Amino acid sequence: MKVRTVAVYYVFTIWTRIFHWLMVGAIAVLFCTGLYIGNPFYIGSQGVEPTFAVSNWASMSTIRFIHFAAAYILMASFIFRVYGFILHRGDRMLPKPWTKLFWTGMLDMGLHYSFLRSEHRPYLRNSMARAGYGGVYGMIFLEAFTGFAMYGQIDPNSWLSKIFGPLNHLLVDEYIVHMIHHYVAWMIILFVIIHVYMATRADMSEKYGEISAMFSGVKFYDKEPDDIGDLKK
Amino acid sequence: MKDVESLWDLFQRRNVSRRNFLKTCVTITGILGLSPSLISDVVSAAEKQPLVPVIWLHGHECTGCDEAFIRSQSPFASDVLLNMISMEYMDVLAAAAGEPLEHHLQEVMKKYNGKYLLAVEGAVPLNDDGIHCMVGGKTFVHNLKEVAKGAAAIIEVGSCAAWGGIQAAKPNPTKSVSVSDVVSGKTIIKVPGCPPIPEVITGVIMHYTLYGQIPPLDSKGRPKQFFGNRIHDTCYRRPFFDSGMFVEKFDDAASKAGWCLYKVGCRGPETYNSCGNMRWWNGLSYPIQSGAPCIGCSANNFWDNDPFYNRMPNIPVPNAIVNADQVGIVAAGALTAGVVIHGALSTIQHKRHHKETHETENDNE
Repeated sequence: MKVRTVAVYYVFTIWTRIFHWLMVGAIAVLFCTGLYIGNPFYIGSQGVEPTFAVSNWASMSTIRFIHFAAAYILMASFIFRVYGFILHRGDRMLPKPWTKLFWTGMLDMGLHYSFLRSEHRPYLRNSMARAGYGGVYGMIFLEAFTGFAMYGQIDPNSWLSKIFGPLNHLLVDEYIVHMIHHYVAWMIILFVIIHVYMATRADMSEKYGEISAMFSGVKFYDKEPDDIGDLKK
Repeated sequence: MKDVESLWDLFQRRNVSRRNFLKTCVTITGILGLSPSLISDVVSAAEKQPLVPVIWLHGHECTGCDEAFIRSQSPFASDVLLNMISMEYMDVLAAAAGEPLEHHLQEVMKKYNGKYLLAVEGAVPLNDDGIHCMVGGKTFVHNLKEVAKGAAAIIEVGSCAAWGGIQAAKPNPTKSVSVSDVVSGKTIIKVPGCPPIPEVITGVIMHYTLYGQIPPLDSKGRPKQFFGNRIHDTCYRRPFFDSGMFVEKFDDAASKAGWCLYKVGCRGPETYNSCGNMRWWNGLSYPIQSGAPCIGCSANNFWDNDPFYNRMPNIPVPNAIVNADQVGIVAAGALTAGVVIHGALSTIQHKRHHKETHETENDNE
């Protein structure tokens, strides 16, 4: 039996972990219900009289309600995220393009992922992942803004419409807002595929505990990670 | 015409009874969407407010908005024109034409400087110094700027004036823009639609005539009482949407039963207009009621959101007609295949590397 000596790093607080899994659930629900809303089809629950069909479990109205509820859960879960962000340095691993480490790390990962470098330096979170997470937060916020811009207009005099409504004019018209919302949803799914793959890959080849870290909050390293400065001062 | 007078003056001059005058005021209150408690305000406005001189300019457009305007039934367009406003210049309805009419325009502009209401129909072409639309030997953009200077307020009648319309659709060869793109510093009311609902045009004019002020506008300048709600939220077919009962094809049973037109491209969910509640031709019908999906004619840039009978626009992919969902499924599939291959290659690389390091470790021992 081979003995491996590792140091244990507490990276993610419970708040970020709760946020992460709430987000996973919410986005899964949002994407599925969103696809249905964009292209509804007969799913057997509809009758021939709308008076009765509307209260069925899978009517358009119910599915839209689930979509909006999941959206509110996603938005509310950001409270956990922000709390963790304030509380703990490990929850603050942002992309830092003004540092040299960000760019050397980017090159390092680029070469590694294109099989030109068999091993990469140890990182708490590598530059590509940082950039990717920055991007997905951007996409989620874009979805939130466009979503509220459309949702708020149910009552054009509401405060929600006052805040987000002007976005409909800023982006030419509400139809374009619908399209952006739809396209970005697909981009988030493409991100998810890459994200799940990369996490699994790292977990299997590097043994830092990449996947379990999102449950336990800790990672294991043989060597000190290059970006340890983000965790300790 | 003599000095402008009020609606009540006009009724008296024509020997119409006070009773009829009050009836008219009640009707107007209703049309403007005002509460019945405001009838007395409307009456006093109609007694005192002088009739507003209106100048109606035509630019880069099809006069379809005029066709709509003259079909207004409550109030009748003829009533608006003859009794409620003093229409001083409108090329298509004026009895005079040519030099005398253009001369009259100059006189009116001087006489009512700062007081007249300017209604503009049509986009403003800017390319090649604006020569793509000439009125009376001058470019429309020149005329518009000149007349706009002395206007109390400007109404953009129709989607062309409000957004640029079909002229501004891609590729916009004449570089057409909306009126508000070339006129600044004036109160501008957008009344979009291709054409706008007749009663909406007359309603906005009447509101200004009676109150001497513009109606409450939304952030883009559209009167809230007419453009406050989506057609979708006021549509009588909305229960079918909420229930998930959709027309799939124009000749299917659902279409005959009058189900929701969402899947055949209805733009009601994105379009703000009064079609759902006021309807057209005195409440007779509107496109959705006739079984045709809304094309969003009062929305900015709606011409470019084609095809009109699809929920989503096509994504330009060579040799294929596909929408975002189809592209998304293929992209997600390709990406999944990609990561699987990358994963397999990574495993091979990892094993090889492991072997090498293992060997070196052994050598060192």
